[in-house]
Amino acid sequence: MTRNTEGALIVAASVLAAFGVTLVNFAQDRSLDAQTALTFLVFLIAFGGLHLAVRAFAPKATPLLLAPVTALTALGFFQIYRLDLAMETDRASFQRWWILIAATLASLTLLVFKGTTISILRRYRNITLLVSLALILLPNLPADWGFPLRGLSVNGSRLWVLLDVGFTSFQFQPAELAKLGLVAYVAGYLADHQRALREAKRHIGPIAFPEPRQLIPLLITWGVSVLILISQRDLGASLLLFVGFVLLLYAATGTTGYLVAGGFMGLVAGVASYLAFDHVQRRVIAWVAPFEHYEDEGFQIAQGLFALGTGSLSGAGPGLGRPDLIPNASTDFIFAAVGEELGFAGTVSVIALFAVTVAVGLGIAFRSRDTFRKLFAAGLSFVLAVQTILIIGGILRLVPLTGITLPFMSYGGSALVGNLILVALLLRISHEEAP
Amino acid sequence: MPDIILALLRIIFLGLVYLFVWQVARAIGTHLGISLRRSRREGTRVVMIKSETQQGTEIDVQDVTVLGRSPEADVNLDDPYASEFHMRLVAQDNGMVLHDLGSTNGTYVNGRRVIAPTSLRRGDTIQVGKTVMEVR
Repeated sequence: MTRNTEGALIVAASVLAAFGVTLVNFAQDRSLDAQTALTFLVFLIAFGGLHLAVRAFAPKATPLLLAPVTALTALGFFQIYRLDLAMETDRASFQRWWILIAATLASLTLLVFKGTTISILRRYRNITLLVSLALILLPNLPADWGFPLRGLSVNGSRLWVLLDVGFTSFQFQPAELAKLGLVAYVAGYLADHQRALREAKRHIGPIAFPEPRQLIPLLITWGVSVLILISQRDLGASLLLFVGFVLLLYAATGTTGYLVAGGFMGLVAGVASYLAFDHVQRRVIAWVAPFEHYEDEGFQIAQGLFALGTGSLSGAGPGLGRPDLIPNASTDFIFAAVGEELGFAGTVSVIALFAVTVAVGLGIAFRSRDTFRKLFAAGLSFVLAVQTILIIGGILRLVPLTGITLPFMSYGGSALVGNLILVALLLRISHEEAP
Repeated sequence: MPDIILALLRIIFLGLVYLFVWQVARAIGTHLGISLRRSRREGTRVVMIKSETQQGTEIDVQDVTVLGRSPEADVNLDDPYASEFHMRLVAQDNGMVLHDLGSTNGTYVNGRRVIAPTSLRRGDTIQVGKTVMEVR
């Protein structure tokens, strides 16, 4: 596919977003208004601009990544708009701003790396790690001090930072950016220690196990994950960090023992946190028996399942369902909302687009010759894949629900910024590795 | 807005989503050199047009394909006049090149015995013993 086809597909996805918004308006007996044109323009400017940035700053990057990402954002956006109408909120216009901001920051990322290579992240990986850890701990700042940067507690999780600049204030989740830095650090570490990690093996039966000494980085990451779980009560981020790390360790070494050891450590942490924290307990109860606890813990999952069931094969139609009955539909449960209005057909197309995105990311990793770029691309793809699987699996009741949002589709500025920068990094890697 | 038009628009919307997914999949396919419509490079397929037991067999030559009577050859030739490893076909940007692997009874392209590696074009015939193949 050429760059021109990518451009055409981005225009098509922008049309899709505007068409979805228009359909919702029609279904709600509203007339054609400025929303249609506004949505089309914002998508065209944001993703068209990103496309032009790729042409200018990373011309040899893969042309396969931006189109599915635009389509996912479009499908998520029209559902956010639809939920706005039902809930009388104004999230769509915020999201439009965030789409513009995120695309700008992603383009800037491409610009920053234009004069150098992505390998500087490997060289200065200790700085990357410190910055990431600082970002993760940022929400633990006191909420009531005079400094304009404050921590913020939302729904019992301490994930937000409030930046007060006098006339207005911004909220963002620094962890969304920190996860990119952590992936870069781990990829750099593994690239430098790959040989030692790969060769130090002990065979126990058919499974190769690493030397105990080599398990130290695994233990450290495990410790950081548990720390996040305790200090910020964020099950999702902690699980994402740990699973992503174990997968990357396996990708770097091909040692099955890491998967076994990681699975075992994850299980221990899981059982312990189930016994220790009531917020983990509530998640598990809601997962095992949502209908028995319909009144309280299980309500959100049960409503999500009802939505998917109501959607049936082809959905109630845009604007014709009641996805607003699901709590937090536009953030956590956007997938169920799409399932109600576009049905099984819609959810399958969403999963197909995610599969394509992750596959292209892993393809970039496979084709990379440099170890760091290979592992970095693989790690970024794993982060996308694990997030998608955890939240969609949570909605479908395959795994306990964690507070992770669906990449590109959910309402939320920080996540969109983080994920579009992730895409920009993948594009940059594929540009540098192009033959 | 009448219900019937809404229902129609809704199906069109889903249709467009799927058209998009299809286009993305097709773009990736062509990017990777896989075509979803099973088209291939011209002149890299060999069809057995005359054979006692293998009439109609189609061989798609990807990179290098060895034909011979041996079960270890990539493509088995069921012909008593064929050698164990009779000939090799190598795919090129346009068409193929045939190498005779020192076979006892020889390989004939368009009726002429192959001495040096020979380029094949669409419509050429290859004869090994009693088996006749055509390049397509």
